[in-house]
Amino acid sequence: MNRAVWLYLGVLITVIASFVGLVQIPDRQLRGLQPVKDDLGVERPLRPDGGVLAGRAEYIGLGCLYCHSQQVRPEGFGADLARGWGVRRTVARDYIWDVPPVMGTMRTGPDLANIGARQPSNAWHLLHLYRPRLTSPGSTMPEHPFLFAWQRVELQRPTDALSFPEGEPRPGWVVVPTQRARDLVAYLGSLDHSYAVPEVR
Amino acid sequence: MSTTSMVVEQSEAAQPELVARAEIDRSCRVPVLLFAGSAVFWLVAGSLMALVAAIKMHTPGFLTEWEFLTFGRVRPVHLNMTIFGWASMAGIATLLWLQARLARACLPFGNLLIAGGVVWNVALTAGLVEISIGHGTSVEWIEIPLFWALVFAAVFAVVMAASLTMFGRRKVAHVYVSQWYLFGAVLWFPFLYLTANLLIHGGFTAGTTAAATNWWFAHNVLGLWLTPIGLATIYYLIPKVIGAPIHSYHLSLLGFWSLALFYNWAGTHHLIGGPLPAWLVTVGIVGSVMMFVPVVTVGINHHMTMVGHFRRLKDSPTLRFVVFGGMSYTVVSVQGSLTSLRSINEVNHFTHYTIAHAHLGVYAFFSMVMFGALYYMLPRLTGREWGSARLIKLHFWAAALGIALYWGPLTIGGWVQGLQMNNPDLPFLQVVAGTIPYLWGRTAAGVLMTVGHCVFGLLLLQMLRGGGHAQNPARSQAATGGEVKA
Amino acid sequence: MSPVYWLVWGVVVAFALSAVSGLVWAIQHGQMERFAAGARSIFDAEEPVGTVTDGFPRREGRSGP
Repeated sequence: MNRAVWLYLGVLITVIASFVGLVQIPDRQLRGLQPVKDDLGVERPLRPDGGVLAGRAEYIGLGCLYCHSQQVRPEGFGADLARGWGVRRTVARDYIWDVPPVMGTMRTGPDLANIGARQPSNAWHLLHLYRPRLTSPGSTMPEHPFLFAWQRVELQRPTDALSFPEGEPRPGWVVVPTQRARDLVAYLGSLDHSYAVPEVR
Repeated sequence: MSTTSMVVEQSEAAQPELVARAEIDRSCRVPVLLFAGSAVFWLVAGSLMALVAAIKMHTPGFLTEWEFLTFGRVRPVHLNMTIFGWASMAGIATLLWLQARLARACLPFGNLLIAGGVVWNVALTAGLVEISIGHGTSVEWIEIPLFWALVFAAVFAVVMAASLTMFGRRKVAHVYVSQWYLFGAVLWFPFLYLTANLLIHGGFTAGTTAAATNWWFAHNVLGLWLTPIGLATIYYLIPKVIGAPIHSYHLSLLGFWSLALFYNWAGTHHLIGGPLPAWLVTVGIVGSVMMFVPVVTVGINHHMTMVGHFRRLKDSPTLRFVVFGGMSYTVVSVQGSLTSLRSINEVNHFTHYTIAHAHLGVYAFFSMVMFGALYYMLPRLTGREWGSARLIKLHFWAAALGIALYWGPLTIGGWVQGLQMNNPDLPFLQVVAGTIPYLWGRTAAGVLMTVGHCVFGLLLLQMLRGGGHAQNPARSQAATGGEVKA
Repeated sequence: MSPVYWLVWGVVVAFALSAVSGLVWAIQHGQMERFAAGARSIFDAEEPVGTVTDGFPRREGRSGP
C-alpha cells in the first residue's frame, strides 16, 4: 500500500517535472541569448521587419514548413554540411526572433536555413515559386500561381516580370509577382545563418 | 455447470442491474451518438483531404490553381480533421460511454455535452477554414489559432466535469484499470493542450524553446490523450467480448503507472540533431527507451488474455478491430523507442518514415480500437443492429490491408530516402525522384482505407435511419444471461 | 514573470492537488488490494464471466432460435 503512495506521487512529480524540464528550464537557459555582431558590425541574426516579416507570415500561412526544415545538423550527423546546406550547424541563438518557430521536421524539399546565401537571385526564386520544375527539373514542389498575376504588356515590360527560359507562354502578356510573392522572396533571401557564432568554432 | 448455477442464483439480484444498464445506455444515447457521428463524418472528410495531399506528393501539378488546396494547407487540414475531428471526438464518445459503464452511473450533463459536441464541431470547422485561408499557425499539431483552441478547452472542461461527476456517483467500489487510463486522458490532456497553446501562441516562448514546447505537446497528444483512451478501451472490451477477465490485472496497473511516468518525457526525440541543448534531447531519448516497460506489460497482458479465445476473432467484429489495434500498439511503441536512438534517427528523421510511424500509431492502433468500440457501443445505444456482416468485414479488411500497405512501403521508402539524403554525392532531386514509387503506393493504400471509411459511414447512416434488418445472436442471448455456444 | 506563467503554474498546482487527493482516496478505499476481484469488477450477474457479448449480425430468419 505504501509503495502505491510513492508510485502515485512519483507519477505526479514526473508530469510536472517533464513540464519544468522540457519547457521551463530550456526557456530560462535560452531566454538570455543575445544577437552577435558580425564583421561589419551588423547584429545577427537579423530581426525580421517590413517585407521580411510579411514574407515570414506568407511562409507560415502557405505551410512551407511541412516540406522544408530550417535547421542545419551538426558535423558527423547527417550530410547537411556536405550538401552545402550551411557552413556550420545552426544553434539556439539563430532562432531568437522566431515566433512561432518554423524549424520544421520534414525534408520533402531541401533545408532552407541558408537559402538566402545559397541562392541569392530573386528572379530565380520568383520563377521557382511560379513553376518549380522550370528551375528544378523533377521537383515535387507545388506551383503557386495565386501569388502571381497576368498583365498585358502596354508600352514597356515591367521590370519584375518573369522571364521564361523556353519563351513567353502567352504573347502580349507577362506574369508579374504580387506583393505577397515579393515578400516571400524577401524572407527567403533573408535566411542566412553563415555568420560566426561563439558556440561553433 | 458452475457458471450456469451461479447465473441462476444471481438472477434475482440481476434485475436492478438490468434496469440500470439500459438506463445507462439510454442516458448516453444522444451525446455519445453526436460525438460518434461527427467523428465518422470527419473521418471521411479527413480521408478525402488525405487523398488530395497524397496525390500532390507524387503529382505536384494536381489542383494547384486554388490557394486553399495547396499542399501546405491541405496537409494541416487533414491532420486537424483526423486528430481533433475523428480521433478526439470518437475518443470522447468512447470515454463518456465507457466511464458510464464502469461507474454504472448515468451520463450527467446531457444537454451541456450535446452543446459541447455542437460547439466542438463549430470550432473545428472555423479552425479548418482559418487554416485554409492562410491563418494557420504552422506549429505542428497546434495549427488552429488560439481563439478556437480556447473553445476546445472549454468543451474539454465539460467532458472533465462529466467524467468526475460519474466517478463520484459510481456504484462499483473498485476502480478498474480502464478508469485509471481514462483519468489520465481526461485530467492530463486538457492541461497539456491549454498550456502548450498559451505558451506558444501567447507569444511567451520563441525559437528553440517554442519548438521544445511544441513537441512536448505534440507527442503527448498521442501519449497522454489517444493512447490512454485506446488502452482503456482495449482493457474493457477484450475481457467483455470474450467473457474472461484480464490475464494479469496487477501487470495492467503497473503498465499504466509506467506509461504515466515515461511517456510525457519522450517528445523531444523529434528534435534530435536540432539546435537544442544536448541534455534536453537526451532526456527525450531516455524517456522513449523507458517506454519499453509499459509496452511489454500491455503486450504480454493482451496476448495472454486472448490465449484460448483467438477463434472468437472469427465471430466478433469488435474483437477483430480491437485486437488488431492492440497488436499495433506493441509494434508502434517498439518502433518508436528504436527510432529515438541517435543512430537510427540520423537516417529516419526528416523523411516519410516518420509519417508512416505516425499513421501506425494513430490509425493501426488508435483508429482500429475506436472502430471496434463503435461497433460494440452503437447498437447498444440505438437499440438497432448493424445492417450487414459483409460490409463490416469489408470495412475491416480495407482498413487492415490499407494501413499495412501504407506503413510497409512508406517505411522502406522513408528509410531509403534517409540513407540517400545522408549521401552528399547524390543530388537532392535524385533523392526526391527515388521516393515517387513509394508515394504512389501510399496513395493506393489511402484509396483502400477511404473505401473502408465510406463503408463504415454507410453502415452508420443505415443504422441511424432505422437499422438494417438483422439480429445479433450473441447480443440477444447475452441480454438474457445465457451463453453462446462456440 | 508574466501573468500567463502564473496561470500555468496555477494549473499545475491545481492538477497536483487533485491528483494527491485522488491518491489519498484510492489508498483509503483499498484500491490497491485484491486484484483478482478487481479484474472481475466489469462483469456482473447479467453478463457474467463466460458470456460472449459480441458477434457479427445475421440476416433475420437465418439465425438459430
